[in-house]
Amino acid sequence: MISPIVLYSMIALGAVGVLLSLPRAKANFALPGFLIGSIAGGVVLLALGTKAVSESSANGLPNLYFYIFGFVALAASLRVITHPKPVYSALYFILTILATCGLFLILSAEFMAFALVIIYAGAILITYLFVIMLATQAPTEEMTENQAPFDRVAREPVLATISGFLLLAVLTTLMSRGVPTLTVGPVVRSDQILTELPLRIERALRDQHMLDGEGGILPTESLARAVNQDGSPGEYLVDAIDRTAVVRVDAEGGSTRVVAWPEDLTLGNVEGVGYELIKAQPGTIEIAGVILLMAMLGAVVLARKQMQIDDDAKRVQAEGLKPTGEGASS
Amino acid sequence: MTSISPTLAAAGEAAMTVGSAPAWVLAIPLLPMLAVVLNTFGAIFRVKTKLPAWITIACLAGSFLATALAFMALSGQTNVVTAWKWFDLSWGTGQGQKFIADFGFYIDNLTLLWMLFVTGLATLIAVYASEYMEHDVGKGYTRFFVAFGLFVFSMTCLVMGDNMLMLYLGWEGVGLCSYLLIGYFYKKPAAVAAAKKAFIVNRIGDLGLAIGVMLTFVHFGTLEYAQLFQSEQLLGYIAAVQEGRAGDVPLMAQLIAVFLMIGAFGKSAQFPLYVWLPDAMEGPTPVSALIHAATMVTAGVYLIARMLPVFLVSEWALPIVAWVGTFTALLAATIGMAQFDIKRIMAYSTVSQLGYMFAGVAMLSSVGGVYHVVTHAFFKALLFLCCGAVMHGFAGQLDLRKLSGLWHMKGWRVVSIGMLVGCLNLAGVPFTAGFFSKDMIIAEAFVTPGYGYSFLGWTLLFTAGLTAYYTFRVFFRVFTGPVQYEPGDEHHGEDDHGHDGHSHEDHAADHFHPHPPRFAINFVLTTLSVLAILAAGLYFVSPEKHGWVGDMLEESTAHNIYTDDHSAAAMFLIDDSAHAAHDTHGAHDTHDAHAGEHAHGAHGSILGFDPHKVMYYISAVFGLTGIALAAYLHGPRGMVSGFLGNRVEAGKCRMDAVAKAFDPIPRWAENKWYVDEFYHFLFVRPLWVISYIFQTIDKLLVDGLVNLFGYLPRLLGRGAQPGQSGVLNGYALSMAGGVGVILFIVVLVTL
Amino acid sequence: MMTTLAQSGFPEAMTSLTLFHYLFISAVMFTLGLIGFVTRRNLIVMFLCTEMMFQASGIALVAFSRFYLEYTGQVFVIFVLTVAAAEAAMALALVVLLFRRHETLDGSVWSLLKG
Repeated sequence: MISPIVLYSMIALGAVGVLLSLPRAKANFALPGFLIGSIAGGVVLLALGTKAVSESSANGLPNLYFYIFGFVALAASLRVITHPKPVYSALYFILTILATCGLFLILSAEFMAFALVIIYAGAILITYLFVIMLATQAPTEEMTENQAPFDRVAREPVLATISGFLLLAVLTTLMSRGVPTLTVGPVVRSDQILTELPLRIERALRDQHMLDGEGGILPTESLARAVNQDGSPGEYLVDAIDRTAVVRVDAEGGSTRVVAWPEDLTLGNVEGVGYELIKAQPGTIEIAGVILLMAMLGAVVLARKQMQIDDDAKRVQAEGLKPTGEGASS
Repeated sequence: MTSISPTLAAAGEAAMTVGSAPAWVLAIPLLPMLAVVLNTFGAIFRVKTKLPAWITIACLAGSFLATALAFMALSGQTNVVTAWKWFDLSWGTGQGQKFIADFGFYIDNLTLLWMLFVTGLATLIAVYASEYMEHDVGKGYTRFFVAFGLFVFSMTCLVMGDNMLMLYLGWEGVGLCSYLLIGYFYKKPAAVAAAKKAFIVNRIGDLGLAIGVMLTFVHFGTLEYAQLFQSEQLLGYIAAVQEGRAGDVPLMAQLIAVFLMIGAFGKSAQFPLYVWLPDAMEGPTPVSALIHAATMVTAGVYLIARMLPVFLVSEWALPIVAWVGTFTALLAATIGMAQFDIKRIMAYSTVSQLGYMFAGVAMLSSVGGVYHVVTHAFFKALLFLCCGAVMHGFAGQLDLRKLSGLWHMKGWRVVSIGMLVGCLNLAGVPFTAGFFSKDMIIAEAFVTPGYGYSFLGWTLLFTAGLTAYYTFRVFFRVFTGPVQYEPGDEHHGEDDHGHDGHSHEDHAADHFHPHPPRFAINFVLTTLSVLAILAAGLYFVSPEKHGWVGDMLEESTAHNIYTDDHSAAAMFLIDDSAHAAHDTHGAHDTHDAHAGEHAHGAHGSILGFDPHKVMYYISAVFGLTGIALAAYLHGPRGMVSGFLGNRVEAGKCRMDAVAKAFDPIPRWAENKWYVDEFYHFLFVRPLWVISYIFQTIDKLLVDGLVNLFGYLPRLLGRGAQPGQSGVLNGYALSMAGGVGVILFIVVLVTL
Repeated sequence: MMTTLAQSGFPEAMTSLTLFHYLFISAVMFTLGLIGFVTRRNLIVMFLCTEMMFQASGIALVAFSRFYLEYTGQVFVIFVLTVAAAEAAMALALVVLLFRRHETLDGSVWSLLKG
C-alpha cells in the first residue's frame, strides 16, 4: 500500500504531535502539536492516495470526499482527547461522529450513517453532555480558567503515546500485509438477496419493458420455475452471479429464454440491512432489545439509590425540605 | 634388629605375645559409662537427691574391682579384648593401605598399674564428692557426676585403648570433661574463663598429638600397639639409634616423638603450656584432686611411657623432655613459693611434680617416673582433698594469711593429719613414698649421662628443697599456731539463705561457724592417708627390680625392652660396654643391686659417690633444710621457742620482712613471672585483632551479601510498585502496552 | 475527477479507494481513543474515548462490509451501536454515583488498589 519507511516515520511524527498536543501543566504546545499531527496524517493520506493512483489504471484521483471526511474525523478525534474541557471534548466527538457519518455514506451504508447520527450523536452524546453538566463541580480556588486540575494535566502522556503508536504501527503493518490477500466472493450479497425476492425481479423486468420497450419481459411472460420431482413447482430460476433470470412464456409449454436483470436493479442499503437483520439475525434483535431493557432498568436502579452523603449538612438540608411531604428521598 | 642382644630380643618377643583377654575385662570401661547413662536419665528426670553420687560410686567401685581381678588374673601377660570393630578400612594391600582401629582394650602391666590407681582414686574421690558437692544437690549435682563418670570412661579409653586412635579418643574425652568440670560453676565468670583457657591450651597440645598419630600411621602403617611395637621397621630404627647410626632414621619417624611430646606437654601442663592448670583450680576441689592431680595430668606421662619405643627412635625428643620437665619443675616451684591461695600452691606443686615425672621418664628411668606418678597421685589427691575440706568448712576461704591453727580445732584433726601425711610425702621426707620415688628420678639423672643431665640432677635437688619449703609453708601457716580464721566469700555466696541487706562483716564476726567435715570426707581422707603411707611399701616389693612398679613395668613396653635401663646410656655414647643383662638381678638389697648394675662404669656420679647409694642422704639434706626454713619463716611461736618461727597471728610472720627485703622478686613470683601476661600480649591480643577483622568482614561481606539477597526482592517490589497505582488509566495503559508488545513480537516473528 | 457520493454504482469493487484506507482511518481513530482513555483523568472523558474506540471499530466493520459486498458488517454495527448505548447509560449512571461519593470526577481518587 504504502512504503513502510514513510509509514513508520509518519507514525513517529504523529506520536510526537499527539504528545505535544496533550494537555500539560505548564507550557502549552498544543498548536505545534496539531500542526505536526496534521502533517503526519496528511502525508500518510497523501501517500496512500498517490500509491492508489499509480496502481489503479482507470480512475484518476481517489475519491475526494474520503479525504475530507477522513481528515476531519482524525483531527476531531485528536481534539477530543486533547482538549482540557470535557464539554468541548464531547462536542468535538459529535464532529467526529458527523465525519464518520460521511465516511459511511461514501461506503454506501446510508442506513448506518443516519443511524449513527440519530443514535450516537442524537442520544448518547446528548446524555453525555447532560451528565457533564450535572457533574460539574463548583469552582474552587485551585481551578484556573474554570478547569479542574485533573483535566488540565494528562496522565503519563509519554508512555501512553508510545504504547498507542506502537500499537498503531503494528496494526498498520498487519493490515498492509493482510489486505492484499483478501478476496471477494463471486456472489454479491445484494444480488443473492434479490434471488430470494423473485417477484421483484419480475416486476422490475416488466417495468423495464414498459419503460423502454426493449429488454425486460412481456406481460405475457413470467419467471420460470423449476419443477420438483412430484410435479409441484419449485424455485424460480434466477441466477445471482450472472444476474440472469429464466423467463417463460405464460402459455402452456412455452419456451424459456434467459433474460438479464435490469442494470439498475439493486437492493437498497436499507432494504439489504433490514432483510439481513430479519432473515439472518432475528434472535440477535431480541437479545439487543433485552440488553437495552436491562440497561434502562439498571440505569434507573443505579441512579435511584441515594448514597450516603458524607456531608451531614447536606442531609440536614435535604431533610429540611421534608415538611411538605415525605421528603426527597424515598 | 641384628644388634640387639639375643636375650633382649627373646625377652621382647616373650613379652609381646599378645593374647586375648576375657570379656569381663570390658567392665572396666563400661561401668563408668553405665554410670554416665544412668545419671543422664537422672538429670532428665530431675533427681533431687544424692542418688547420682551413689550410682557413680557403685559403678566406679565395680570398675575398680574388675581392675583388681584383672590384675590378679592377667598380670604379666599382654592381652587384647575388643568391644567392637570401629574402623576397618582398607584400600589396598600394602603397608599403610589399611586402617584398623577397633574399640578395643590392651591389657598389659602398664595398663593395669595405671588403671588400679585411676579407678581406686576415682572411687574414693567420688565418695568425697558426694559430701563435698552436697550444697548443689538438685542444682548441678547430677551434672557433676555425669561429667565425672564420663571422665573416668575417657581415661579408661586413653589408658586401656589398644591403638592410638583410642588413646586420642580418651585424650579428647578427658579434655572435654576437664572443661565441663572446671566450668562447673558456670555462672562464675572466672570459672568459665578458666575452663576455656584449659581447653584451648590443651588443644594446642592436642594438635601435636594428632599430628603425631597421623605421622605414625603414615610412617608405620598401623596404629595398633600390638602391631606397632613388633613392627620390624621400628625395631630397625631403634637398633640404628642404638648403634649410633641415628642418621639412618628418617626425619618423619623422628618427628613423631616430637609431636607426641607436644601433646604430652599440653595435657600434663609443662612449660610453655602449663598456664591452664593453676586457673583450673576454679573447679570444685574433687575435680582438682582427681583430674588435675592424679589422672588427667598424668596422661602425658602415660603417653611417653607407652610410646617409649617410638621416643627411642628420635635422638632429640627425650632430652628435650628432660630439660623442659626440669625447667618446669623449677619454675613452678618458684611461683608456688609466693602464692597465698593454698589450692593454687598445690596446683603449682602439681606442675612441678609433673616436671619431675617427665624428667624421670625422659632420663630413662621410666620406673622412677611411673612410680612417682603413683605416689604423687595418692598424696596430691590427699592434699587437694584436705584443702577442699578446709574450703568446704570455711565457706571458701583459701588464703593462708587468713587461716591458722586448724590442728587445734575440734573436728579438724583428721584433715590435719591427712595434710601432714601429704606434706611429708610431697616434701620427700625420708621413708615416705614421695621420698623413694623422687630419689629414683634424681639418682637416674646423675647416672644417665649426656646432654647435661648432671646439671638437671642438681636442679632437681634444689627444686626438691624448694618443694619442701613451700609445702611446709602451707602446713605451718594453716595448721599450726593460734586458732584464727575468717570465712571466705561463699558464706553468703549461696543465695538461698534468705539474708539480704546485711553486710558481710557483721555476719562474719558474729555468726560464722566453720563446719568440719563429716563422715564421707573423713573416711576418704583417712583411707588416702593410709594408702599414701603404704605406697612407700611398694618400694620394698621386689626390690631387685626397683620395687613393685619396676616389676610391673618390666614386662611392658615402658621398660625399655629393647634396651634396658642402663645400656640405653650407651645409646648416647658410642661405647660398646658390656651391659649387665636383666638376669643378674640377684637377691641383693636395693643398694647393692644398683651397685651391681652400675659396675660397668661410673656413668655419672654425684660428688664422687655412686648416686644410688648416696641420693637418700643428699636429698634428705635438701628436704629437711627446706622444712626448717619454712618453720623458721612461717612457724608459730612456741614450737621450739626462740629458734623457730614467731608467728602469733594468721597474717604476719618473719617471711614478711624477708619478702620486703628481696622486693620486687617475691612480687614477680607472686605474679607468676608475668607469663600469662606475656602470652596475652603475644597470642591473645593478635588473635583478638584478627578475629575483629574477620568479624568485620563477616558483618560487611557475608552478612552484607545475605542482606543483599534480602534487599533484592524488596528492591524489585519497590521498583514494580509504581505499576500498581490503583488508577484505572494505569491498568489500561499496561493492557494496551502489553497488547502492543505482543503484536509487535508477532510481527517480528512472522516477518 | 470522479466523485461520487452514496455510490449508486454499488457493486463495483473498490478500486482507487482500497480497504486499507478505511482501515487506516479506523486504526488511527482507535489509537487516538486508546491514548485518550489512558491519558485523561476525567471519568466522563475517559468513557467518551471508549465511545471513540467503538466508532473506529464501526468504521472498520462497515469498510469490510463494503469490501465483501455483504451486509453482515453493517448489521453488526447496529448491534455495536446498541451495546454502546446500553453501556453508555450504565457508565454514566455509575459515574454519577461515583461523583456523588467523592464530589469529583477525577479518576485517580479511586485508587484503593494502590500499592
